Amino acid sequence: MKNRTPLAQSYLDRFETAVSTLPGHESRSVQALRRQGLDTFAALDFPHKRIEEWRYTNLSALTKATANEDIPSSDLDVIQTAALDAPFEMVFINGHFSSDESRLKELPEGITLGSIASSLGNGAVFSLSSEEDRALFALNTAFMEDGFSLHVDDHVQSETILKITFRNESGDQNGRHIRNVINLGIGSKLTLVEEHTGTGSYFSNPVTSISLSEGAALNHYKLQNESHYAYHLSLTDCENAKGSIYQNFTFSLGARISRNEIKTTILGSEAESHLNGAYLMRGKQHCDTTTLTEHKVPQNISSQVYKGVLDDDAHGVFQGKIHIFRDAQQVVGDQLSKALLLSDRAGVDCKPELEIHADDVKCSHGATSGELDEDALFYLQSRGIPEDRARKLLIEAFLADVMESIGDTPVKDYFNAIAASWLTEA
Amino acid sequence: MLEIKDLRATVGGKEILKGINLTIKPGEIHAVMGPNGAGKSTLSYVLSGRAGYEVTGGSVLYKGVDLLDMSPDERACRGLFLAFQYPVEIPGVASATFLKTAFNAQRKFRGEEELDAMQFLKLVRKKTTELGIKDDMLKRAVNVGFSGGEKKRNEVLQMALFEPDLMLLDETDSGLDIDALKVAADGVNRLRSPERSALIITHYQRLLDYIVPDFVHVLADGKIVKSGDKSLALELEEKGYAEISAA
Ligand SMILES: Nc1ncnc2c1ncn2[C@@H]1O[C@H](COP(=O)(O)OP(=O)(O)OP(=O)(O)O)[C@@H](O)[C@H]1O
Ligand SMILES: [Mg+2]
Repeated sequence: MKNRTPLAQSYLDRFETAVSTLPGHESRSVQALRRQGLDTFAALDFPHKRIEEWRYTNLSALTKATANEDIPSSDLDVIQTAALDAPFEMVFINGHFSSDESRLKELPEGITLGSIASSLGNGAVFSLSSEEDRALFALNTAFMEDGFSLHVDDHVQSETILKITFRNESGDQNGRHIRNVINLGIGSKLTLVEEHTGTGSYFSNPVTSISLSEGAALNHYKLQNESHYAYHLSLTDCENAKGSIYQNFTFSLGARISRNEIKTTILGSEAESHLNGAYLMRGKQHCDTTTLTEHKVPQNISSQVYKGVLDDDAHGVFQGKIHIFRDAQQVVGDQLSKALLLSDRAGVDCKPELEIHADDVKCSHGATSGELDEDALFYLQSRGIPEDRARKLLIEAFLADVMESIGDTPVKDYFNAIAASWLTEA
Repeated sequence: MLEIKDLRATVGGKEILKGINLTIKPGEIHAVMGPNGAGKSTLSYVLSGRAGYEVTGGSVLYKGVDLLDMSPDERACRGLFLAFQYPVEIPGVASATFLKTAFNAQRKFRGEEELDAMQFLKLVRKKTTELGIKDDMLKRAVNVGFSGGEKKRNEVLQMALFEPDLMLLDETDSGLDIDALKVAADGVNRLRSPERSALIITHYQRLLDYIVPDFVHVLADGKIVKSGDKSLALELEEKGYAEISAA
């Protein structure tokens, strides 16, 4: 018998009950899928620091916990501002679709949005590749409860913003194993905003699989504003067909430990994948951004730009890998990671990685971390601007270019307002 | 206006100001000249409150109150302005935002009503027109990519905007072409009044043709070694510092 982490063991112990009660329990194929996930997870356990991709993020605070910690129930520290004005919103409460809270009437024609729980109930399964080696993916497959499934028909180009909200609170030990599936048809276009928020202590483990058909364009925003006692470990996979454009912007402020792992696979020429983001962390928060961009064919473009502001004892991680396969000539890949450290105790680990097997490519990467520019601070103060205001101006200036990359103005305004509110609490 | 008594200061553990005595009365313009490394910029930084410049002795009274006790922003709000020898580039902060934030911070401090974006823009336009400065730099980030001369003009514009009571100019004339020099001089002369004073650090007599000082001081090795009227500047230009300081 292997020496499992207590949390992994408790998942194994709970599985038989889960498989017979979770959505799709009447379906043999759903059951089989869950078992496959469980077997993979049982062999792997939770990721630990001996795994290269997890060197900088230690999950032991999560996996050792056998009982709920003593957590104040107040929504301490969660940044709140005026809500994003989105015409359509799908709401999940504690991992379950809430039709009462959602506003989905009269979705534009050609957009189909449903809950995964009902798909599973109908016996629909998703392909889980057999060589899957990501434990959190497998755990999600074994225990997935709900999530959204979104389909946009060919050539449907929506100008509206679709918002998906996940509201969590502390409660049962099952965790929130959200599974989302997004399919954009040929030449279609959509703007999607995911928002994750909550109170208390919980473990959120969302997995999102995205497939963009030829010429499709998805603007995918994510606000990670979980409770500061929560764990948020998310996986997003995106496949880009010819001429498709994936733009992801992840804005992280919440959670005690969070990880956004994004994998994009470019399968067609003239496709683009742009992964940008910002993270603002304080206290003992830990935020990990891990990206893998695979260029499998020639002539396409990818970029990653992440900026982090770290105060107190907060810690940031950026691991970005660009993998260019042998035939993928004339590829452009740019990567940049910058961290601003507001305290001596804050820190960041950066690991840019280029794996290039083609010879005609243009790739760049850069990673920097530094403190606020004292000369600039003095210059601002010498003009009458109080120190705290001057600091804020400089932090906003540090974030300005990555925030400017947000193409949808309402989202940009929303994220900027949240950043301003975070800065006010400093 | 300003009373400096036996001021001593260290930078990085090294004593740079070694007992400065200088009194500036309202309405007076004082020029400070001196060799490189004498401590001229250090004096301007100590007066404006830059961190890392430690005062180890002496006192400075500004309008009768202890200046050294105040934060840099409070000094600015009370009417002290330093035109930097090397203005700082601040990427990501738009000049317009910076100027308006600073301007309104000063007004708020004095209990005056803040200006809205439109009112402020009008005021800036007025000042740039008066001084003949192009206002396209307002759209750019503070000093970023500005030429040396543009940075100095930007300092002059700020001075015109904030209308300080005590102007400290640290080599504002260095690196300026003759037209820009006149702009800078014009900036000071427009503000000149019986209530306002200036301390002008320069290496060149030329600027003093346009801004005529009441007093000229020579600062060498952290001390004022000689003071005189405007003719001292001419004498310096002729003979150099070594001879004058030794005399
Ligand atoms: N951070 C520092 N650490 C140590 N020495 C410093 C520091 N900053 C300035 N100094 C020293 O202080 C002395 C005075 O410098 P300061 O800039 O005041 O001279 P200055 O009179 O303005 O010269 P210039 O005419 O070249 O502008 C110089 O010897 C300089 O090297
Ligand atoms: Mg100097």
